[in-house]
Amino acid sequence: MLRTTSTGLNRKNSKSLIGISAALILIVSSFVQPARAADPITLTIWTFGEVIQPGLQREYQKLHPEVKIIPIKNDVDPLHQKTVLSCQTGGPADIIAFEVPYSGYWRTGNRPNCFQDLRQMKTSDTNAAAGIAAGLSATDIKKNYLPWRWEQGVAFNDSVIGIPTDVGGLQVAYRVDLFKKAGLPTDRTQVSKLWPTWEKFIAVGKKYVAKLSAAEKKSGKGFIDDAGSIYSAVMNQGTAKYYQADGTDAGKLVYKTNPQIKKAWNTTVSALNAGIGARLGQFTSDWNIGMNKGAMATILSPAWMLDYIKKQAPETRGKWDIANLPGGGGNKGGTELGIPSYSKNKQAAFDFLTWYLAPEQQLKVFKTYGLFPSTSVLYNDPELLNYKDEFFNNAPVGQIYTQGVLKLKPIFEGELERKIDTLFGAGLGRVASKKMTPEKSYALVISDVDKLFKN
Amino acid sequence: MARQKSLTPWKRSKRTTFTGVPSMNGRWGYPAIAPFFVIFLIFGVAPVVYSVYISFYKWDPLGVSEFNGINNFTFLLQDSDFWIALRNTFSIWALSTFPQLAMALGFAWILRNRRLKGKSFWRTILLVPNITSVIAITIVFQQLFGRDYGIINSLIQLIPGVERIDFVEGTLSSHIQIATMITWRWLGYNTLIFLASMLAIPDELYESASVDGASRWQQFVFVTLPQLKNTITFVLIVGTIGGLQVFAEPQQLGADGGSTKQFLTLTLFLYNQAFLNNKYGYAAAVGIAITIIVLIISTINFFITRRIASESSS
Repeated sequence: MLRTTSTGLNRKNSKSLIGISAALILIVSSFVQPARAADPITLTIWTFGEVIQPGLQREYQKLHPEVKIIPIKNDVDPLHQKTVLSCQTGGPADIIAFEVPYSGYWRTGNRPNCFQDLRQMKTSDTNAAAGIAAGLSATDIKKNYLPWRWEQGVAFNDSVIGIPTDVGGLQVAYRVDLFKKAGLPTDRTQVSKLWPTWEKFIAVGKKYVAKLSAAEKKSGKGFIDDAGSIYSAVMNQGTAKYYQADGTDAGKLVYKTNPQIKKAWNTTVSALNAGIGARLGQFTSDWNIGMNKGAMATILSPAWMLDYIKKQAPETRGKWDIANLPGGGGNKGGTELGIPSYSKNKQAAFDFLTWYLAPEQQLKVFKTYGLFPSTSVLYNDPELLNYKDEFFNNAPVGQIYTQGVLKLKPIFEGELERKIDTLFGAGLGRVASKKMTPEKSYALVISDVDKLFKN
Repeated sequence: MARQKSLTPWKRSKRTTFTGVPSMNGRWGYPAIAPFFVIFLIFGVAPVVYSVYISFYKWDPLGVSEFNGINNFTFLLQDSDFWIALRNTFSIWALSTFPQLAMALGFAWILRNRRLKGKSFWRTILLVPNITSVIAITIVFQQLFGRDYGIINSLIQLIPGVERIDFVEGTLSSHIQIATMITWRWLGYNTLIFLASMLAIPDELYESASVDGASRWQQFVFVTLPQLKNTITFVLIVGTIGGLQVFAEPQQLGADGGSTKQFLTLTLFLYNQAFLNNKYGYAAAVGIAITIIVLIISTINFFITRRIASESSS
């Protein structure tokens, strides 16, 4: 009951947290940095999830025994805070990963200065054998990447602060065995035809839930894992979210007026009211268990989630398949890799980045970890298009995700994108748990978002 | 001339020190204690002063900060989230402190028993939860309290006619879940504190009580409890301080404090304002508010303790 914080938040010093953490980072970095010999270069990478794939990391170290790569993992949000602090104090990182929802933050104001402008960097000849010519700057490799995805790493002062790792293409993963049991078609083209629109998707869900036995319903089974996940899927099918590009850095706030938000909200609310969701929050322990127990027949799954499903529910091998997302293409997530301005090994870091994010390596990452490549030159590569995944009933995942990604339109990412997203998510949570009516909850979301920009 | 007691002992001449060793107090005392104070100044005082400073700003660590007057504070008083966080903090504090006190007293009473076998084993094992990481505890308890597949809900389901409880979604239920984690972690620690002071109670008191015909229960109520008064006060004070800092448990349950902020605590509120909403100045103002709340509670504690102390001395 006392000293319950593990984070060093302390009664008197809670407000001094910022200062203390800054000081701590100073201390830590002074321990990490002391005069290493010039020869073996250590690249410290601040990352999360599977952004830095161990297999590829080993491959690079085999090519370059003189480079030592140390990935340090955090969760997305703590990593962001760490990056903010290290930008003020300096730090040990040579490469930092940041999620696209945070890209708006880093691209505005003075913040691009925290990252090295990659247009100023030139590749050395160290990776010439791997097909990367010397003397290439970020401007030269830009053509390999999906244009709108590339722009998410370009600051409003035009400096290139990050190179995209993956595109979070979104499709529907569904359970063939459960569909069969409910008397629904099982073939992926037929399944895709079942739901050209979200209304149809919800209708199929109702049909599925109606076939469940009373005991199954009582144990919390449903058609989709979390009906709330429909919200971001619909949002990303539009052309703007909470901000709209208006030529300024900050963009124009449109969270009250953008019809896409209303559409996404209403679609999700009607899915919630239809009771098609198993109400399993993604990445919770109930979700992991539910995946094994067949608690859900569908998951709106970004490419990067496929690997998570494989790891969490290995026994469901072969029972899954992938169908198209209702309403067009889908997107969720995606990461940038940048070099912080304070890095001591910028050249080595840039050489690593240009190799690691080159089309060839992205293809390998896709095959092992499912991160869908951001290099559009691959999108007509037969090796990507013909790639099938055994775990997902030999679905041509390469082809399916490529089609989805090509349908996407660029969306302007503003400074507090991620925060506003969580507020809308919480609003839908209140509707899902029936703590509030949709109207009341929506009003509360809007007033919560208002509060973010007040004071 | 009669020797007078020096009114200024720190100026006492070398010859008059008690040990006869020449005193170095005057010259070397301050350098000797300096390391602590220098570090305290840098890591304790300076950040506090700095955060008071930024609480008057719209402060952006990487951008332009602008002076904001007392707006952060007036906004705080109107911010419903702050009041919700205050309510949650006290609710979780009460739910974790009082049951825990009773249980710790009970356990200590059992451990005090002379005929108990394997005393050191029980005493050691009591401390194990205390050295477990909060994150690990939260993950395990989240599974226990899970809505669909949690053990606790499976047990609740055995009672006919009772619905599943969505612990995290409910206000009181989420407080109970967090309070359970805190209790589990700190119960052993407080048991040991109670045990130590129970063992310090002279046996004669119990002997005379039993001669007077007091039962075990009467001995506990009329001998043990009054003797533990000071210890109970201590545990309460330390518990209150800890209770105001509850952070990691709710943060693990849901970083934003739940869909209706049902388990948003004060420190989590502060953290979110700074690190999720980029409102560093506002977060500093929240920190000052927390300090004031702690000061108020400490004052109340001080008066209660003084009253108890004067009662026991009279």
